[in-house]
Amino acid sequence: MCDFSGKLIAWMDRELSEEEAAAVERHLDACSECRSEVEAYKRVISKFDAYCEEAMTSNVRQGDPRWVPVVSAVGAVAAIVALFFVWPRTPYQPPAFQPSKVVVSDSAADTTEGLPARVRPIQKIHRRQVVTPVQIRNTIVPPVQNQDAYIPTNEPVIQIAIPADEMFPPGAVPEGIHFTADLTIAADGSAERLRLSPRLAVFERRTTLP
Amino acid sequence: MSGDAANLALPLSRLSTGACEATTLYRELRKPLLRYLVCLGLSSDEAQDVVQDAFLSLHRHLASGGSQENIKGWLFRVAHNQARNRQNRYDRNFSAPGDPEMNSVSHEATPERAVLEKEKFQQLGKAIRLLSASERECLLLRATGLRYREIGEVLGIATSTVSDTVDRAIKKLAEKCNV
Repeated sequence: MCDFSGKLIAWMDRELSEEEAAAVERHLDACSECRSEVEAYKRVISKFDAYCEEAMTSNVRQGDPRWVPVVSAVGAVAAIVALFFVWPRTPYQPPAFQPSKVVVSDSAADTTEGLPARVRPIQKIHRRQVVTPVQIRNTIVPPVQNQDAYIPTNEPVIQIAIPADEMFPPGAVPEGIHFTADLTIAADGSAERLRLSPRLAVFERRTTLP
Repeated sequence: MSGDAANLALPLSRLSTGACEATTLYRELRKPLLRYLVCLGLSSDEAQDVVQDAFLSLHRHLASGGSQENIKGWLFRVAHNQARNRQNRYDRNFSAPGDPEMNSVSHEATPERAVLEKEKFQQLGKAIRLLSASERECLLLRATGLRYREIGEVLGIATSTVSDTVDRAIKKLAEKCNV
């Protein structure tokens, strides 16, 4: 066996010093036995890589959803966030529910004077005290003429968008999955029900973070 | 996932920076890491668990201002140790990687060629199983693109030992597979 035989694989892996590599290359020019050995090693390495790749693709199902840890983590964090936003700082007495419809005319929307007490602009809005879902649903919403006027609509009062990358470690939420949180808030401002609906969708992670 | 609470307690700026870097590394290194663990003998679910735990550790490491030198080697070392811990916990030997089913060969080759390729693959699988654990680990880590020095750091052995082990392992495979 040739003296250089023990250095051929390290040379192929570029693990030799410059001097040693140059010596191996000079030897390879002259030794056909070592050249054929190098070719054989290349074939083995190529087969080994293919074997590993095949083992990986045949054993790992790509995109295999792992719901239990993801859903539990999402549920725990979402519950904490929801409680943070809806927990009342002071005891709040909800107004008595009046099923009558609130009608606001176009002319009344132009000025705050003509508005009923319930739809006047609120100078200091405390979000925890705004939410009265049943009353909002019963309100007829006129076209908005004055953007400053506070007119409740059928749209959700509070929308919070938190990117998954900010809340979870990488890998916790598989790509292509997002969650819709359906939160019901009771009259006293507390969270009554929180339901998370996992959805599969075309989901693109942001490439940059703020 | 027991460390989520600790993660949330990290300063937001560090969390954000760490998350960004860890996400980039996740895209780049998830597949090589999975491949290493599956070829080491872990099941698909076990390998995915280990990968997830390793990246969670990486996220904590980066967010707490840990060293960013040779992150790839660091990640493989964490994953390797976790795989070894599972081996001890379940008293199981990960010495025999699962044989691939060779689905890809049959798509392109003639039936005779496919059978021949399959036989060669099985021969290679047999030869791989006859390697020692350290020979197999060195070859698998080498296949992920790690340098000998990094392989030594992952396995806790000297670089010269890695060089000798890789050399010996490839020669054994070449001899037994008759390529």
